[in-house]
Amino acid sequence: MNSARYFAPKGIEEALKIRAEHGETATVLAGGTDLVPKINYYDLKPAVLLYIGGIGLDYVREEQGVLRVGAGTTWAGLISSSLVTAKASVLSSAARQGGCVATRNAGTIGGNVVNASPAADLATPLLVMDTELLLESEAGKRTVAVRDFFTGPGETVLRGDEILVEMSVPRVTGKTVFIKLGRRKAMTLSVVNVAVRLDMDGRTCKEARIALGSMGPTPMRCTKAEEMLNGTALDEALIRECAVQAIAESRPIDDQRATAWYRKSVGEALLARALAQAAGKDS
Amino acid sequence: MKYALTFTLNGGEVDVLVKPTDTLLDVLREKINIVSAKRGCDSGDCGTCTVLLDGKPVRSCLTIAMTVAGRDVKTVESLSSTDGELHALQRAFHEHGATQCGFCTPGMLMSAKALLDMNSKPTRDEVVDAISGNLCRCGAYYEIIEAIEAVVNSE
Amino acid sequence: MLKYVGKQIPRYEGIGHVTGRTTYVDDITLPGMLYTKVLRSPVHKGVIRRLDVSPAENTHGVAAVAVAKDIPGQNAVWAADQPVLVERNIRYKGECIAAVAAVDEDTAMEAVERIKLDIEEQTPVFDPIEAMKPDAPKVRPEGNLWQFNSGDHRVLRKGNVEKGFSESDTVVEKTILNKMNDHAPMEPHVSVAYVDESDRLKIHTVSQAFHFHLGQLCAIFNLAANRVCMVGGTVGGGFGGKNEIHCDHIAGLLALKTRKPVKYRMTRKEDMLYSTKRGAFVFDYKCGVKKNGRLMACKVRAIHDVGAYQTLGEYAIQKQCLYITGPYVCPNVWYDGYAVYTNKPVASSMRGFNIINVTHASEIMMNLMAEAIGMDPWEIRFINAWRDGDTGPTMWKVTAAGLIETMQKAAEVGGIELPAHLMAMSSRGR
Repeated sequence: MNSARYFAPKGIEEALKIRAEHGETATVLAGGTDLVPKINYYDLKPAVLLYIGGIGLDYVREEQGVLRVGAGTTWAGLISSSLVTAKASVLSSAARQGGCVATRNAGTIGGNVVNASPAADLATPLLVMDTELLLESEAGKRTVAVRDFFTGPGETVLRGDEILVEMSVPRVTGKTVFIKLGRRKAMTLSVVNVAVRLDMDGRTCKEARIALGSMGPTPMRCTKAEEMLNGTALDEALIRECAVQAIAESRPIDDQRATAWYRKSVGEALLARALAQAAGKDS
Repeated sequence: MKYALTFTLNGGEVDVLVKPTDTLLDVLREKINIVSAKRGCDSGDCGTCTVLLDGKPVRSCLTIAMTVAGRDVKTVESLSSTDGELHALQRAFHEHGATQCGFCTPGMLMSAKALLDMNSKPTRDEVVDAISGNLCRCGAYYEIIEAIEAVVNSE
Repeated sequence: MLKYVGKQIPRYEGIGHVTGRTTYVDDITLPGMLYTKVLRSPVHKGVIRRLDVSPAENTHGVAAVAVAKDIPGQNAVWAADQPVLVERNIRYKGECIAAVAAVDEDTAMEAVERIKLDIEEQTPVFDPIEAMKPDAPKVRPEGNLWQFNSGDHRVLRKGNVEKGFSESDTVVEKTILNKMNDHAPMEPHVSVAYVDESDRLKIHTVSQAFHFHLGQLCAIFNLAANRVCMVGGTVGGGFGGKNEIHCDHIAGLLALKTRKPVKYRMTRKEDMLYSTKRGAFVFDYKCGVKKNGRLMACKVRAIHDVGAYQTLGEYAIQKQCLYITGPYVCPNVWYDGYAVYTNKPVASSMRGFNIINVTHASEIMMNLMAEAIGMDPWEIRFINAWRDGDTGPTMWKVTAAGLIETMQKAAEVGGIELPAHLMAMSSRGR
């Protein structure tokens, strides 16, 4: 603690150089909302703190129909961005429900994704939007689909020399819904969160995306449930069946916030509600 | 290893030496003797450390001090004028019984100030949302909301 | 004319609160002040076989390390058998074993982590019902049941419960559990201690109860009462949690040892895990009621899980006796109250100290009885609410009863129209 070093590079290249030089001993710092509690409680004693708040990752732009969100965009930034609201409202909807004003001003979307909590609120919206993550290192760049990014609780495919720099959301259509259940309305981890995207043609669903958070070791897509809806006319009965199927694909655990059986029960109800809303059948 | 850090605090410049792991809260309380920002949890959960960074509320206990270089920090001391006249929010808190033990008060005031700076006519829901990250275990929430609304309605 | 009564008067310390000028104990910094971190037991129960603090003492920036043998007086706080610093027998995870004073918290923490500690782990017991069994692991040598002067439980008898049950039309039984709670005041426990210019130990304290604590501290430091000066009264919330010494003894000990100002601040995590709590309760309630709503008998077994040491756990049981049936009259009451040890944090006072617990239980029972006899839950309460002259469970005479008027007002405020015969009732008589 007394011998830590601090770097605040001014650009991505410089940041990647420091990352490569120090490897695993470099702790990347963005908003700090997940990291600094660990430092304060001596659970993490960084040898090197690499602050990436000044390397230009705080942006939201659209290029040829693709929405590009810099990994350094804060939760508050997602909420206030008219582009995000227009093209990926599920992200701003989720951002609104997490933490509180103060944490939303600091926490970043990149941090939420790399921290990879199974309950990560921004992960399920990214999953239903078919997002791709851009990872950079001195050795080069690579793109990883967000559904391939998480490997376990707190674990991702991010290498020790890489920095997550951007999420790109392709041109996707359809109505999105995000619902979060916490033990209270603010400053709370999800007991369950659900995100859906339904691309509807009248009463027929052309394409479905269903994602669950806090229902398994990682935020997850429910692909069998999605298949049930693809190219099918939706009614209440099918929506209910689909929710049952999605829950069957999940693997929630008992923890401090809730039990597995509760998560399955309430998850099914919330998912059915989200699907009905997305299908335009608000009940 | 210690690093030089310069930033603006309540309108004046501050120069300190800090460790990379020092938080803004550590620096305020232990190096500059601004103790109005409180250490309630050190994990960003309670809100007693809330200060304004470039006008926006943040958890000073989660803000690595070095990241504040060249930026503007405001604590509750910035609310009253130099001749000691209280800000309307401070007066309202005092008059509406919105302080009991007082430990949450500076944080609450900074969250309320930031709200009114951004939106001078918030709805009650917006007031509640603005302070939803500030805990008060004495249970003065009702009076706190009343005090803020009193200021909103008087302007 | 009334100048202050009936008026809303702003609190005199309010200006300090809203300007941030109110000084809390953690706001105090003194020249040369040292910071404290403690070594806590990582296990729930065990015997310390080896404690070597020399690596901590030899850490650069460390002024002193205190262990049990450094205590000048009695190594006892809260309960007579509870050590300030454990020498041998650990009874709960988190119990303090050693304390380090250093130039800053990071250094103190580093030093704590270097202390060599070997513990022979033993089997703990967490469930109070399990702890009551004769073959349960012993939390303390004398056994897991606190001894009252009436034996291993406090006994209260009013009237004849069996007669009361036989006269009842319906009997309802329920087991009610109350969990452990933490006060979680916004201000965590903290203390600043130093030896002043008159060679007195001055302690800036968050104590809610100076007079309770002064005696304990004097016994620990082996100092006469005029040699210890407690300064305080500005507390960032206590709610009963600051009725027990948490930091003053350790800060004082290190201040005496180093002759420098010492601050000992508990982190929120330490405070939440290891400070005193509202103890958990297990209640077995059995109530008998007549068809007309009159409560006839109430039989209760109460088990207070006091944790690893008994401080106010016994007091909780005694005090609880007053309100076993809630604010309702009952001619026949039988109460057996146990204070049971477990290898968990210590139970002490918390807002509504154990009265909350029996209130919770007795209100549940009122609802269940109402349901059982098909009566409105307001009505059953009005019928049984104390009137002046009723006797409580301990045979004291009720005076200035007010539940009926309170319920009437509550209904009015809540927009509930109560039947005329309930609105006509009064606490002055039946």
